[in-house]
Amino acid sequence: MKRMLLTKKRLKKGLKGWLSALPFILPGLILVSVFILYPMIFTIQISLSDYRIVTGEITPVGLLNYKNVLFETKEFWYAYRNNFLYAIVTVPLIIFGGLIFSYLVNNLKKGQTFFKVGFYLPVITSWVIVSLVFKYMFGNSNTGMINYLLVDVFHILDDYVPWLYRQWTGNGAIWLMGIWKNMGWAMLIFLASLQGIPKELYESASIDGAGIWNKFRYITISAVKPTIYFVMVNMIIGAFNVFIQVMLLTSGNPNGTTTVLQYLLYNRAFSKFEFGEASAIGLISAVTIVVLTIILNRTFLLDQNRNGE
Amino acid sequence: MKKSLTLFALVVISFFTFVACTQNTELTSEGDITITFWHTYGDSEEEVLLNTVMPLWNAAHPNITVNTVRQDGSQYHEMIVTSFATGNGPDVARIDISNTASYANQGGLVALNTFADFATLSATYLEGPLSTNLFKGNYYGLPLDTNCKAAVVNMDLLESELGLTTIPATMEEFITAAASRGSYSINVSGVGDWDLYPYFWLFGGVLTNDAFTQATGYLNSQDSIDSINKLLDLHTQNIFTIRDIDGTADAWAGIQDTYVMFFEGPWYGFSDNIVASTIPTYEGRSASVVGGEDIAVFTTSEHQEAAYEFAKFMTSEEVQLAMLTVGQLPILKSLVTNAAVVSNPKWSVYMQQLESAMARIPSPNNDEIKTIWSNAMTEIFLNHADVATTLNAAATAMDAELD
Repeated sequence: MKRMLLTKKRLKKGLKGWLSALPFILPGLILVSVFILYPMIFTIQISLSDYRIVTGEITPVGLLNYKNVLFETKEFWYAYRNNFLYAIVTVPLIIFGGLIFSYLVNNLKKGQTFFKVGFYLPVITSWVIVSLVFKYMFGNSNTGMINYLLVDVFHILDDYVPWLYRQWTGNGAIWLMGIWKNMGWAMLIFLASLQGIPKELYESASIDGAGIWNKFRYITISAVKPTIYFVMVNMIIGAFNVFIQVMLLTSGNPNGTTTVLQYLLYNRAFSKFEFGEASAIGLISAVTIVVLTIILNRTFLLDQNRNGE
Repeated sequence: MKKSLTLFALVVISFFTFVACTQNTELTSEGDITITFWHTYGDSEEEVLLNTVMPLWNAAHPNITVNTVRQDGSQYHEMIVTSFATGNGPDVARIDISNTASYANQGGLVALNTFADFATLSATYLEGPLSTNLFKGNYYGLPLDTNCKAAVVNMDLLESELGLTTIPATMEEFITAAASRGSYSINVSGVGDWDLYPYFWLFGGVLTNDAFTQATGYLNSQDSIDSINKLLDLHTQNIFTIRDIDGTADAWAGIQDTYVMFFEGPWYGFSDNIVASTIPTYEGRSASVVGGEDIAVFTTSEHQEAAYEFAKFMTSEEVQLAMLTVGQLPILKSLVTNAAVVSNPKWSVYMQQLESAMARIPSPNNDEIKTIWSNAMTEIFLNHADVATTLNAAATAMDAELD
């Protein structure tokens, strides 16, 4: 009896606590429910249905959309492969380039701001503008800068190449744009991290006879390791959200071999009215990103534990 | 506690009151209607629309105000799809003929043949453009403007490079003259339907049966295989180039100093030297592809009758003649022989070419059909796939998309 009364009292206290907190958390809760939870649940529902956009009719079709996406055409697998390739090619180069340039800029006595602005400019430039510049660079005939240089100026090639209409040169242009556009962001993050390393560490290492390479390897790399992880996770997630450059540079051509998941999703929804398949693609992308993040997290946490042993 | 709850309730009530109050901000006097018209006209077309056409409308319909909204052409289709879901779309819109069936299939367009005067009205339109509005027995729009591809020829190059002083009447003559040149004389931009269908049809290819219900036996017929082989042959002989496959110059840039001829709509870039001509015949056959736009009333419109009235007005003789001045070919039978059309060297060519122009497959699965075609052509021209095998596979895939 006494125990029951105690539980009741605790419940009442808990409820009172919740009620006093409610006005503060409710606005956030409503926003999360409306803009995150509801769209997420609705996406899952659409992915399992035939959705007609005008009438709003939703007819359940089970896993048919997933079956169509995964097994009916090659496009999904090209897109999936291309997203992984984008991550594999661009992420190491962005990290490596960002780290090297941040190290160089950090060691500059003068003109740091100039280089910081220079490297960061591509980051704040519109994707659309940059895509148009890349489209011009990789354009056909002598109207494209690369074709003009290779064929007309240096005579390295005999014929013009439709760079954006070939599987690997098209993908190459997409990767190059991603690297150029994101390296400045990585550089700035690394620079902030580098500026947090005590100078005494480098001084002691110099006294101990360490050269530039050893100082970079044992002090700089060790200190920025958590930052490398942060940049890597962000870039890998970003690699699965590639969209604008694919839409503006190649449109997935030729025959979907340069497409990526987000472009495929957009194409299925807006060109083909297949909102169920588009939702299925979106959910597969989301699951892939979550799994990748967990794997990366575990790998790095294990590494940290090992360091702590 | 009580104070914070009351404060929170007040904030919520104020928010919803504000939202409710903003719902009906458009005040109109009794009987007055405002409708929205979406279009993708260019600068010159919009100028005529706003300065010539709309004053005519306003004078005839003072109680119906039309908000004309120019949309970005590259994302227009996506904007319309989004508007279907949000309900914030136009009342009436100018849409590409290739999208009418798919919008109708989604339930986004009003069947206009339900209006009493439709039968009389539809009899005044040219058959081809009108047919682009037909889907499952109903007409979901009115033809607004039409066009097709005709030959665009550089007269100087025709003479200096091919030794011809007049545009040849047959493709055979043109090919013979171009064979010894050693560089590309004919250009096409890509391998899509709008680009390659005229050549495919010209050289004898067939897409489907007349009812557009079956591709097998047509797309993979010997005539179609021969047609594609002819194009491959011209490509190998350096007579015919596909920009996206070969990396060659764009048609309008190349026609200035490189290409002798390409097929294009009545857009721009014509001069005394760059002239329009009907496409030279091959084995006595001419061919072209029909383009153009329809005007459709959206099911989300609250003023469907007013929107239909505006659509009818846009297809009237005076509006069609006004829009012709900026290159919008008319869709009225009564204007085919009109002096404004016949006396213009460019419009008369295109109106003549329309007689042998064919429509693309009218289907709600138009996008899938386009993809099947362009994928097959990419396989053949880029990856050198076997023509018969590729067309067999394409015909089977196309069958699945046809009703």
